[in-house]
Amino acid sequence: MPTLIAIILIFVLSLGFTVALRAGATASVTYPQKRPILGGGDPETHAWQRFHVRYYTMTLLFVAFEMEMMFMYPWAVVFVEEGPKALAEMGMFLTILSVGILYGWREGIFRWE
Amino acid sequence: MGMNWLAHLAARAEVPVFLAEGEAAPAEYAHLLARMPALRMVDTPRAAAILLVVGTVPKALLPQLHRLHDQLPHPRATILWQSRNDLSGAKRIDSAEDIGTAIKTLHSDLLAGNVESEPDILPDAPPNEWRGVGPHGQGGKGMMGGTPYGRPMAMTAADLRDGLELDTYTADFGPFLPMFPPGLVLKLTLQGDVIQTVAVTHPPFETTEDRGWVLLDLLGLPALAQRKLRGDATGKGSFDRLARLTAARAAIPDGLGRTHDGSDVRARFDHLMSRRDSALNLHLHHTGLDDLLVGLEWHEAMLVLNSFDTASLRTICGNTPEPETDDDADGEDDKKEGGMDHGAHAGHM
Repeated sequence: MPTLIAIILIFVLSLGFTVALRAGATASVTYPQKRPILGGGDPETHAWQRFHVRYYTMTLLFVAFEMEMMFMYPWAVVFVEEGPKALAEMGMFLTILSVGILYGWREGIFRWE
Repeated sequence: MGMNWLAHLAARAEVPVFLAEGEAAPAEYAHLLARMPALRMVDTPRAAAILLVVGTVPKALLPQLHRLHDQLPHPRATILWQSRNDLSGAKRIDSAEDIGTAIKTLHSDLLAGNVESEPDILPDAPPNEWRGVGPHGQGGKGMMGGTPYGRPMAMTAADLRDGLELDTYTADFGPFLPMFPPGLVLKLTLQGDVIQTVAVTHPPFETTEDRGWVLLDLLGLPALAQRKLRGDATGKGSFDRLARLTAARAAIPDGLGRTHDGSDVRARFDHLMSRRDSALNLHLHHTGLDDLLVGLEWHEAMLVLNSFDTASLRTICGNTPEPETDDDADGEDDKKEGGMDHGAHAGHM
């Protein structure tokens, strides 16, 4: 019962806030206000353009290390039961990941730009 | 009644002010305004309630002032401080003593509804008519071509940094950008945040204001910047020690913005921080903005721009060659200063 009351209360409150905010919003945005802020300047080209996400190589590095850590925690439990076999398996996994890191190195992911 | 109470409470808060600086601004106005605790200088008109026009904005830059005015959200008001400009509904203040109270009263009146919010100066219509072809305004070939609202779609251009050909963005920046010296309008072509071409549309106004505090602000030290601007009674020695302790100098890349006489941003930063009265003797006969800014990222370029005093920057703007007019021959309102043709010098750093 308290859960139901809480859900209803949350629903009613969020609806109330939405209606109140809608009622409070008055002026619509005019065209002069839609301009990009360039300190009074004016753009010459359209702003719809492709942009290079320069941190994409960094994400490669993140994935390599993050996946490693993710599998190592459950592996620690397995290692207690299995012993050297689990160690060898983790060694193989880490080797494959290290190749990924070496590849990333060649691509220049450790060079900040 | 409830609204009244809320309005009074809001009126006791700091007043967000956007500063538009014109020619012949009152001496030390930035220093004066920084000493008023009730005011907060904001970096964008979207965060401001009061537009403060300091000095007179020349006729050539009035369209820019109107655009800026309309970008303030409602409720808004304008104050002209020692200005010969004319803006409908704006309040005129001439003496420096009154400015703090005038802004504060106007703001609380605005919030209480005693003063009407200023309407837009520009018409509520797109700057150019819709001229797109495809369903999203594109020319019909992918997202290329077409001129929606009179602005061509971005096209790729050769990249200066790593050869990736990406879309370019061309716009007039300034004259009221907080990180630009007042009055400076540059037509920049950017690829991401790398500057590809520079042309001077309007040189900075002649002032003797020290841009050292802006450099500190750009380096991410706003508290120290305020301290420098206010000129707190902490004594020269203690400010020097603080500036040294923050190691702000080390945050400036070595050799950035080197002019032909060999001085770089670090050297000019040292000079600005040391508060020496003698001007740094720069020989700028051959240095143009294109030598200094092309190939730099935005934050580096801003450090370079603010490291010069106004007189030097005006000389540099004069040395900047006019861009070759390529396929788009509609650069109608470009009135460049000086354009002595020195050609582009390779190796800006």
